[in-house]
Amino acid sequence: MKNQKFLVPLAFALSMTAAGAASAQTLTMGVRGGPESMDPHFSALGSHAEAAKHIFDTLVWSGTDLQIEPGLAIEWAPVDEDTWEFKLREGVKFHDGSDFDAEDVKFSIERIPVVTGPTTTAIYVRRVTEVEVIDPLTVHIHTDGQAATLPNDFIRLFIVSSEAAADYSTPETAAEGFNSGAATIGTGPYKYVSWEPKGDLVLERNDDYWRGEGAWETVIRKEIPNDSSRLAALKAGQVDVINYVSSVDYLALERDSSVDAVTGDSVYVMNLQLDQREDTPMVRAIDGSDLAENPFRDMKVREAIDMAIDRETMVDIVLEGLGKPANQMMPPGFFGSSEKIPMPEYNPAKAKELLTEAGYADGFEVDLYCTADRLPGDAAICQGLGQMLTQVGIKTNVNAISKTVYFPAQARLEYSMFMNGWGTLTGEASYTLGSLAHSNDPDVKLGAFNRIEYANADVDRLLQSGATMMDEDERRATYEEAMEKTMADKVYISLVQLQTVWAAKAGMLEFAPRFDEDTLAFFITPAS
Amino acid sequence: MLGFIIQRFIQAVLVMAVMSVIVFFGVYAIGNPIDIVIPPDATQEIRAEAIRRLGLDRPLYEQYYYFITNLLQGDLGRSFVYNMPVLELIGGRLPATLELVLISVISATFLGVSLGIYAGYRPDSWVSKTIMAVSVLGFSVPSFWVGLILILFFAVNLGWLPAGGRGETVEIWGVAWSFPTLNGLSHIVLPAINLALFKLAMMIRLARAGTREIMLTDTIKFARAAGLSESTILRRHLLKLISIPIITVFGLELGSTLAFAVVTETIFSWPGVGKLIIDSIGVLDRPVMVAYLILVAFLFVSINFVIDLLFALIDPRVRQGAVA
Repeated sequence: MKNQKFLVPLAFALSMTAAGAASAQTLTMGVRGGPESMDPHFSALGSHAEAAKHIFDTLVWSGTDLQIEPGLAIEWAPVDEDTWEFKLREGVKFHDGSDFDAEDVKFSIERIPVVTGPTTTAIYVRRVTEVEVIDPLTVHIHTDGQAATLPNDFIRLFIVSSEAAADYSTPETAAEGFNSGAATIGTGPYKYVSWEPKGDLVLERNDDYWRGEGAWETVIRKEIPNDSSRLAALKAGQVDVINYVSSVDYLALERDSSVDAVTGDSVYVMNLQLDQREDTPMVRAIDGSDLAENPFRDMKVREAIDMAIDRETMVDIVLEGLGKPANQMMPPGFFGSSEKIPMPEYNPAKAKELLTEAGYADGFEVDLYCTADRLPGDAAICQGLGQMLTQVGIKTNVNAISKTVYFPAQARLEYSMFMNGWGTLTGEASYTLGSLAHSNDPDVKLGAFNRIEYANADVDRLLQSGATMMDEDERRATYEEAMEKTMADKVYISLVQLQTVWAAKAGMLEFAPRFDEDTLAFFITPAS
Repeated sequence: MLGFIIQRFIQAVLVMAVMSVIVFFGVYAIGNPIDIVIPPDATQEIRAEAIRRLGLDRPLYEQYYYFITNLLQGDLGRSFVYNMPVLELIGGRLPATLELVLISVISATFLGVSLGIYAGYRPDSWVSKTIMAVSVLGFSVPSFWVGLILILFFAVNLGWLPAGGRGETVEIWGVAWSFPTLNGLSHIVLPAINLALFKLAMMIRLARAGTREIMLTDTIKFARAAGLSESTILRRHLLKLISIPIITVFGLELGSTLAFAVVTETIFSWPGVGKLIIDSIGVLDRPVMVAYLILVAFLFVSINFVIDLLFALIDPRVRQGAVA
């Protein structure tokens, strides 16, 4: 799991005065997206949680490599089948000087389902049935059955002050109370000063932070969604660091000595998904007539598709080197990623043979749908995919479209072959396989994002039993097996794992890229 | 005149009603906003709950009915994404767009009309030819590209002006404006130039065409015969006669720029309404989209109304026609 590559310091021996963005006490970050509200419980969006992490702390912390570490809770352990005990950190104070205790934890957990917005944070507490305060520094969390991954669910569970937020905990009052700052009282490294939707978030240092004092007196988090504008702001000295540098700009930055670029692996893997229904809408014979059956139900056809894809070319040409070939739906090293899965071989001749054997000597025609504006390179990968598949005889019509159209249509099961990225934000397999690989079954609350009607009884069984295994090694082996079985069916064909690029003024800052792509001011320090 | 106003008012209400239906049903047709914003580990139950909370499980006509009844009570609804009243969200960003657009459209008009009259008055001089050449550029170069070049040149290479964002603001009548401060002005310059370029080119062409046509008419000949100085002729006669198309275009441009300064606002990270609407479309934030487009319809209707009144003031023929 430890990946040395992540500790690339930004420091280079260059003068600090050259940058001149602001005083050394102020850090100005140019970021692509921001919070949707100052209420940390309103949205589960990545950029929302990233902003909230400056002001609020979570019970369980997720580190640079997504390993779980103590946060406001210092230790946790299951006490019986459906109860976890969390021991809380002593002596932590909120920004208003009041003490943090178990009541705040109970209050925060109970508040979430009430105030959450459409990007629902209810997922963090979906297993929780009751919160019991044992003493000021101990809570028992009762769950609906065994919840082995409960600590993972809590990595974005922000703790607000039960006193300050007491009057601002209904859907109508929450935004008002938190956006005005009245309830925006956390235990985090920075205190709230001001915020404007889609504008600047201004923060000042919390001198009593339990992790120690941050390096910056003031932090300004500027939202600049346009990639080129964000880079221009960095080059003009308006911001000190930016996230999500595009692959095109990255090439240019490599030759630019005034800017340091830092590359980190991303949790996102691009997956091609093949509809398994008997009747699938977007497939037809070359002459336009209907096919007798859905070709994607034939293992030979799925294998042919897998072999037709040249992952190396995808990475080198399409993504300008900012990625890695992928053979499974999670990056290597994650809890449940298997080392036994081979990297698929690129062999177009064999792919053609397989198609002939499957009875599609003339190929067939399919409409491929992908997102075009969600992740770096998604549209380009889609086009590459179209060409590679067409070369082996599967005439592919590429439709790289906006995510606003793609996801609703995908949810209505309108596609036969589609591709989008999936990010394993918790770093473990129950998050990914539980949503994608289990058959869609509301009764066991699994498979909600399985939009190809994939069902494998073995995988279902493994996932259901894995979710209740309290022993970590046993659980890991179970998820690895589920991953192997899922990938072997080739209904989800993983293509590439993406990488993310940050950029900062040369020689100014030092930080380690995080797997979840968060840009956190507390962990950015001036270069020494 | 009163009849004219009432007629206009009814028209406005109809336009907005049609607009609300088109937008409401159009956005609905794209799909369920929940599917774009829902987190990947949500269970089926959580998804259904999120849909229910936004009222998206109700039949469409019922959702529309709620929307319209609230609208008639002055409530445009709450944003799905920000959980804030839509009016507050739009109102908070309107001053930024307003000051940027007014500065750019007004300066483009003054400069454009002056240059255009000169180019029409002295069509053969090399200055006029240069002006016309520049106006062709203003028309043909895409504004997002010009914006990026402006940033590259003035902000990144020369470092004279900021690359984007809005500067310091001062409160006037409880609204934050950035143009009265030096820092604020330095932030406005580049986006204003970017926005103004196209309008400048159009104003030059309009004024030039008008001038060339009017200079050949009897009005000018008689005025010259009467011994009026050239500058009096230009100011008193020519300017008045070419102003009707210019005012029409000014009004429409003002409206469309206010509503759709999206490209410039995005490139310069200007916190205006254009950026808000693009972001809202990105996540299908229906209350914001519908409210915004209805406000835009309202804006256009009112601008056209004001333009019609202005015509009546400038041109006696229109005035008499309206009375009769």
